[in-house]
Amino acid sequence: MTDDLALVERFLRGRGEDAFRALYRAHTPALYGLALRLTGGDRGEAEDLVQESWVRALTALRTFRAQSALRSWLCGVLVNVRRGRIRADWRIVDAPDVEPLADTTGRDDAIDLERAIAALPEGARDVFVLHDVHGYTHREIAELMGIVEGTSKSQLNRARSLLRSSLP
Amino acid sequence: MTKLPLETQPDPTLEERVVSTLVVAGLVRRRRVWPVWVAAAAAVLVLAFGVTVFRPTHTLAQGKTYVVLLYEDSTYRPPAGNGEERVAVLARWADSLSTFGKFERALRLSGPGTLGGVFIVRAADDADAARIAASCPFTQWGGHIELKRLEQ
Repeated sequence: MTDDLALVERFLRGRGEDAFRALYRAHTPALYGLALRLTGGDRGEAEDLVQESWVRALTALRTFRAQSALRSWLCGVLVNVRRGRIRADWRIVDAPDVEPLADTTGRDDAIDLERAIAALPEGARDVFVLHDVHGYTHREIAELMGIVEGTSKSQLNRARSLLRSSLP
Repeated sequence: MTKLPLETQPDPTLEERVVSTLVVAGLVRRRRVWPVWVAAAAAVLVLAFGVTVFRPTHTLAQGKTYVVLLYEDSTYRPPAGNGEERVAVLARWADSLSTFGKFERALRLSGPGTLGGVFIVRAADDADAARIAASCPFTQWGGHIELKRLEQ
């Protein structure tokens, strides 16, 4: 947390490239991991999401408050960017063919789970990834996604049910 | 439940892509400081001869060619000095475009009228060209920009 604040303050002092690269390297693996899951493993889409999220984040970085962790704030930015993109072109593709994610190579159960998550319907997948994988609360998810907490809970139940039936 | 990794390392090329985008958007300042003698030499070329000052260093992207026209009209208020700083700012902008293969060449013009410079850029379409023109730092000194598509 303290390191994050120091990085943010260093960047805001001059908006220098080196300061940004330090922020990028500290948080992009988490952003990219989240983006990959939200896009069902679409690497190109995930990279675009990360890029646009950094543009949004740097535009609004002065509004970042130290009460929350920078990583959570950045992930929130990414979730909102994704929601905006879905609204903008409403191209929703269910169950794309996905390759195993690099970090899970060699772990069959994890690969099965990644595939099953990728095959979930969009809304259920978003809630499942944010809640069960990244540890967001229903209240936080509701705020991020502009839904009520009850919807978040029902989407999570739906996601878990679908996963139970799809996994061996 | 199987514990899934929260982090995944993206392709290393993404970092450069993101940095270049942020530089073009004016959200990050490039690390490289142009040596004074380089800026001075470029300024001399620009101001005295009106010749090409920058050339692309990357393969040009697919798309159409557009011309970004820089007008030094009555609103133009350049900072004091011999133009070195302005040349360096525009050179960095051209450099960031070049990363995407979107920069062809730049020309400084002299003579009657307010048209003071031209950037020839490559863009996927009109909207992309408009984004590029909007990211040009020239208007921080006033003046205005026009964008034209080059008919092939």
